[in-house]
Amino acid sequence: MDLLAQILINGILLGGLYAVMALGLALVWGVLNIVNLAHGAFIMLGAYVSWHLYTYAHIDPFLGLPITAVVMFVLGYALQRGLLNLVVRAPMFNTLLITFGLEVVLTYLAQLAFSADFRTINPSYAGDSIQFGAIVLPLARLMAFGVAIVLTVAMWLFLLHTRLGRAIRATAQNLVAARLYGVEPRHLYAVTFGIGIGLAGAAGGLYGTVSQINPYIGATLTAKSFAIAIIGGLDNPLGVIVGGLFLGIVESLTALYIGPTFADVASFGVLVLVLIVRPSGLLGKTA
Amino acid sequence: MKALQIPAVLIALIVLAAVPWFGSDVLVQFGINALLLAVLAQGWNIIGGYTGYASFGNSVFYGLGSYGVGIAMVQWELPFAVGLAFGVVLSVAFAILLGIPVLRLKGHYFAIATLALAQVMTAIVSNVKIAGQNIGLVLPPLNNDLLFYELALGLLVVATLTIYWLSRSRFGFGLIAIRENEEGAAVMGVNTTLYKVLAFALSGVFSALAGGIHAYWVTFIDPESAFDISLNVKMIIMAVFGGPGTVFGPIIGALSLSAISEFLSSEITSIAGLFFGVVVVAAVVLMPRGLADMLRRFRTTGWRYFAENIKATRL
Amino acid sequence: MSAILEIKNVTRRFSGLVAVNDVSFDLQPKEILGIIGPNGAGKTTLISLISGTLPPSSGDILFEGKSIANMPAYQRARLGIGRTFQIMRPFPGLSVLDNVAVGALFGRGGGNAELARARELARAQLDFVGLGKNVDQRADELGGPGRKRLELAKALAMQPKVLLCDEVMAGLNLVEIDEVIDVIRKVRNEGISVLVIEHVIKAIKSLSDRLLVLHHGEKIADGDPETVLANQAVVEAYLGKRRA
Repeated sequence: MDLLAQILINGILLGGLYAVMALGLALVWGVLNIVNLAHGAFIMLGAYVSWHLYTYAHIDPFLGLPITAVVMFVLGYALQRGLLNLVVRAPMFNTLLITFGLEVVLTYLAQLAFSADFRTINPSYAGDSIQFGAIVLPLARLMAFGVAIVLTVAMWLFLLHTRLGRAIRATAQNLVAARLYGVEPRHLYAVTFGIGIGLAGAAGGLYGTVSQINPYIGATLTAKSFAIAIIGGLDNPLGVIVGGLFLGIVESLTALYIGPTFADVASFGVLVLVLIVRPSGLLGKTA
Repeated sequence: MKALQIPAVLIALIVLAAVPWFGSDVLVQFGINALLLAVLAQGWNIIGGYTGYASFGNSVFYGLGSYGVGIAMVQWELPFAVGLAFGVVLSVAFAILLGIPVLRLKGHYFAIATLALAQVMTAIVSNVKIAGQNIGLVLPPLNNDLLFYELALGLLVVATLTIYWLSRSRFGFGLIAIRENEEGAAVMGVNTTLYKVLAFALSGVFSALAGGIHAYWVTFIDPESAFDISLNVKMIIMAVFGGPGTVFGPIIGALSLSAISEFLSSEITSIAGLFFGVVVVAAVVLMPRGLADMLRRFRTTGWRYFAENIKATRL
Repeated sequence: MSAILEIKNVTRRFSGLVAVNDVSFDLQPKEILGIIGPNGAGKTTLISLISGTLPPSSGDILFEGKSIANMPAYQRARLGIGRTFQIMRPFPGLSVLDNVAVGALFGRGGGNAELARARELARAQLDFVGLGKNVDQRADELGGPGRKRLELAKALAMQPKVLLCDEVMAGLNLVEIDEVIDVIRKVRNEGISVLVIEHVIKAIKSLSDRLLVLHHGEKIADGDPETVLANQAVVEAYLGKRRA
């Protein structure tokens, strides 16, 4: 029983991180209709930004998150403004391909700049944990979970209650809507992509505190982010929390009861099932 | 085909077929790889280029074809040809059983569902005993690159003839109609579900055969390489780079990109992958309708061609 | 003579909203039936229910006496039901000729297997609707009026027994409207039954043998055009109640 509780807790803590990983992907997909295959690569870059801040400037990874997010926002804004805006009206294959090309480029650049070695962000409290009876809550994971939930909810409030957030949501329905809010669409697209990448960067910073990083983690993280975004559904920003927790718990349970090699079968199997049975996600409207 | 095209294609074919007799071993090995990739690009062309469904599941067909040959030859000691047939049967079964539910999904959702299926298949095969689990299978070696080369070329010819037939048959028109407007196709009498599944299966047959030939050639398969998603991405890039939904575009795309990437990895080994990524990004921006379209229209529009492409797709 | 198409108590709901509510009517062979109604009256939904792109929530639809309510759209097309779309959706990347050829390849009875023969039929159909000069253009290069005619030609190339027209006259000028009316009359004279949904009351009044009015998804009038248009409920539905 304690084991099951511990596994559930692990799944939930992992799920919070998953949620924020998928948040930016879901935003960019839902609003710009770009399925960003480079999303995981941006998470990876964010992790490296955090790692550099911690290793060379001794900035705590959690306190450094805003810096990481801003750096990644700027990168995202520039990429959308200078490159992706050139192809947003092209057929779906083309936007898929260009983001795949970006993924390749970013991965290689990261390999050249940071080498293929594994890195970890290990602040002094990395090994600490809180004990509740038989259940152990690793401190770093708990903090990452807390930050992830705060970020997701903050994002939700931003989209719902600010003028810019409303403009972004309106744009998801209709491009002309941006103009009604007095925002230039190219700028709005770039801001939205920038926010998506900023969130990916923050997710990367959190990821670096709980797991090892290297330049090749991107592709798997992209695949997981997809699964989460789809399970949660794209129309509700809080959906990623549901998707993230769901995937985190399913993966932890599968690894325990069926075997670690089946964890991916479970998560992607669930993804296929959700797509077939409820294409709009667990929280989405029924067709 | 226009009058000039038939002799041109025949001459190209004869030259390609003669490569093993005058080319070096390295060239022949490059050729086998490039020809198999061209088959994969053509296979993807059927479901992606003609039917408009961005399949990331074609690497599953490739993997099933590899394992069909692997299991038949290693575990059951059957001949290569039986293994190929077994792989094809597995692929068609997969296309029908999973195609029916998954082909109901549209656009990105279809792409992601097939991507997930590919991941699931990798993990399942890694746990299947007869497939050698995650260690893989070692096939009996056959040192006959000439045979593999001509087999790959023959398969490419069959795939291309199939697509040529597709481009001017009722079936092919049905697929194109589905790509252009699925609901419109249905109300005009196209059995969209049947056609999509058939296209998926046909696409799978060619991918499986390519996988089977490749498996016997390299004499080793494991789940990671047999179901490799990046191979699927390559098929898409090659088809789209050359011109999706055309008869020869994917071949041009596959052969030219294989040559570029071979050249890059021999000249600037460490950053070849980087250049490959840059080529893909530049191609999408500058020639979104593929090389075939560029070659056709560059003559009349000149450099304006690129500017017009950007103008057509930018925000 | 028995009806070729019978709509029996058909209802269609969209998550709570009733778009078509318990509507019944029939279409006789060689009849031109007009359906009018204000925006949101359920006209396009009705066509989608008959052509099979939407299933009805309840009720039955009979074609030549047999129920087709649960048949997929392509089977209904092969039985002989052709439709046009109000929001015109050609196959944008195909030539005008090939757009229509799809209808000839797949239409009633499974169509023609031969591409050359299908293109021949398509060419004839395009001449018939007045697009003979545009055969080689890409469909998405046609203007609005051209696309309306293309929609008609695509449906007619299927050799349908029943033609469902969804606002084929909207956005056309008076001359073009007269030309389309002429085409539809000729279609009927070839023995095809036509159901016309229209906003342009004047056009539909002269074209229809019979007129049916939908309002909020319900049938509020059905009869010969003169009588129906004089009906008080119809006038109110269109113009709103006069202020006292």
